[in-house]
Amino acid sequence: MLISAGQAAPASPDPPSNDDCLTCHGKPDASSKLGDGEALSLYVDRESFAHSVHGGKLACTNCHTNITAVPHAPRQFKDRRAMSLAYYESCKQCHFAEYTRLLDGVHYAALEKGKEKAPTCVDCHGSHAMEPPARPRIHISATCAKCHVAVGAAYAKSAHAAGLAKGNPDVPVCTNCHHAHDNANPLTTASHLRISELCARCHTNEKLMAKYGISTDVLTTYLADFHGMTASLYRSEGLKSAMLTATCTDCHGVHDITWVKGPGSGVIKANLLIRCQHCHKGAGPNFSSAWMGHYEPSLRHAPLVYLTKLFYMIFIPFVIGGLVIQILLHLWRVVVNI
Amino acid sequence: MMKEYIQRFSVRQRIEHFSVMVLFLVLGLTGFAQKFFDAPWAIWTTAMMGGIDRLRWIHRAAGVMFTVFAIVHISIGLFMVLTRRSRPSMIASRKDFLDAVAMLRYYLRISDKQPRFDRFDYRQKFEYWGMVLGGMLMIATGFMLLYPVIVTRLLPGEFIPVARVAHSNEGLLAFLIVIIWHIFNAHLSPGVFPFDPSIFTGKVRREHMQKEHPLEYERMMRQSEEEEEAQADEAP
Repeated sequence: MLISAGQAAPASPDPPSNDDCLTCHGKPDASSKLGDGEALSLYVDRESFAHSVHGGKLACTNCHTNITAVPHAPRQFKDRRAMSLAYYESCKQCHFAEYTRLLDGVHYAALEKGKEKAPTCVDCHGSHAMEPPARPRIHISATCAKCHVAVGAAYAKSAHAAGLAKGNPDVPVCTNCHHAHDNANPLTTASHLRISELCARCHTNEKLMAKYGISTDVLTTYLADFHGMTASLYRSEGLKSAMLTATCTDCHGVHDITWVKGPGSGVIKANLLIRCQHCHKGAGPNFSSAWMGHYEPSLRHAPLVYLTKLFYMIFIPFVIGGLVIQILLHLWRVVVNI
Repeated sequence: MMKEYIQRFSVRQRIEHFSVMVLFLVLGLTGFAQKFFDAPWAIWTTAMMGGIDRLRWIHRAAGVMFTVFAIVHISIGLFMVLTRRSRPSMIASRKDFLDAVAMLRYYLRISDKQPRFDRFDYRQKFEYWGMVLGGMLMIATGFMLLYPVIVTRLLPGEFIPVARVAHSNEGLLAFLIVIIWHIFNAHLSPGVFPFDPSIFTGKVRREHMQKEHPLEYERMMRQSEEEEEAQADEAP
């Protein structure tokens, strides 16, 4: 049924007030027919808008800018999606920074390519009954999981999600790693090589990690190793493709990152070889212990490596010192002979 | 009339020295660019070589060539000594130890007599054997790092980081020995300054032989006398 124009609200030269709009749109049965035949509810709940973040701050016409007078001519959309897309640029009037960031993200890139299902503002934030997006934070992971179902399910199994469910503010939700608006494509080589930087933001924070008894040496031990060194070099070369090297997620998992200590700690060790074999084809059972597990070599962890280091710390100065002494004695004797 | 120069090194030995010198420089440069990868010079060197993948390829190719040279050198050396075509002049002996002590006494002015050396003195033998043994360690650890999958089928995984530490430190040690000890002995030492070209030309001055390698010089003189006598006897 189309709202019959001029039924109630008087025409006025000023922008219509919210009350003017709600005269028609406040009726629960207000609806329209879309181009594809689907019925679209035109009802806006007065209460839920009043309690939304914009309640008391915005007028309907701030977003619905093309409505200058009530009653207005019916608007035609071919389907529900076309209507959303027609309105998503309304938000940038106020949220310009977020909008410009969105232009750098994968979602906008998809939209630009004509993928109409790519999310715009309202798909994540909602429209009239808009709530602060991170209150509580678990809303964020739930929002992304609406489309990213498999990733959402994997994340739900992670140590981070377990913390999130308990309301722990320390754990990351999707947007902490992927950003909210300018989310880069995580599947590129460049993104892969930046992962250690990403994880390190929290995992090198002494105060934060101390709460959970997690070592903050994880980054330095990784960077000192062959893989970490290679990743750093590839990154500084601005590598676009070619050979890859392992970063955090290649061993720890991408979204289903589990706790390496405590119950189920065997999981990562048992799976480590499988992860190694992903690149090192034919690696045998000894292979994975070539990785020192983020420990600095010591008598407890990787004692052979520690002792080899220690040996050279003594042996190199001993040999070089001896040679230098002999050279100095030689020169001294030459001088004395004169 | 005695010639002023004496032949000391064969063509093969000179080629070997030159090749190892070049390989040592390439391996050192590409190796330290990896060991100190975040140093500005290393970043520059890596970029000059066309990136880390190319640099590693060069390092590994040079390592394989070094391995081939080492195998050829040791095989020829063993063959020559075992078939008595050459004296085992590089083998360290009790005399080398006594020479080192005698040299120390000379340096400390306990004695004014310098030890008399044969074809190679104890310092040269030290450097040679350091090079051979160090080279073998570099080859072994280098191949462990190049083929970790194969190596860990036989050895514990921990041997891979051990090989990495050993390869890196042994390389540093070799480099320091060469820039401090070899450069001093071949270039800066007052006896040879600025440059001892014998390993490139194959020849040394007679006085140098008499002073630095008197035992070998005397043996050479005895041999040439005997040969002359033999020739004289054969003459009708």
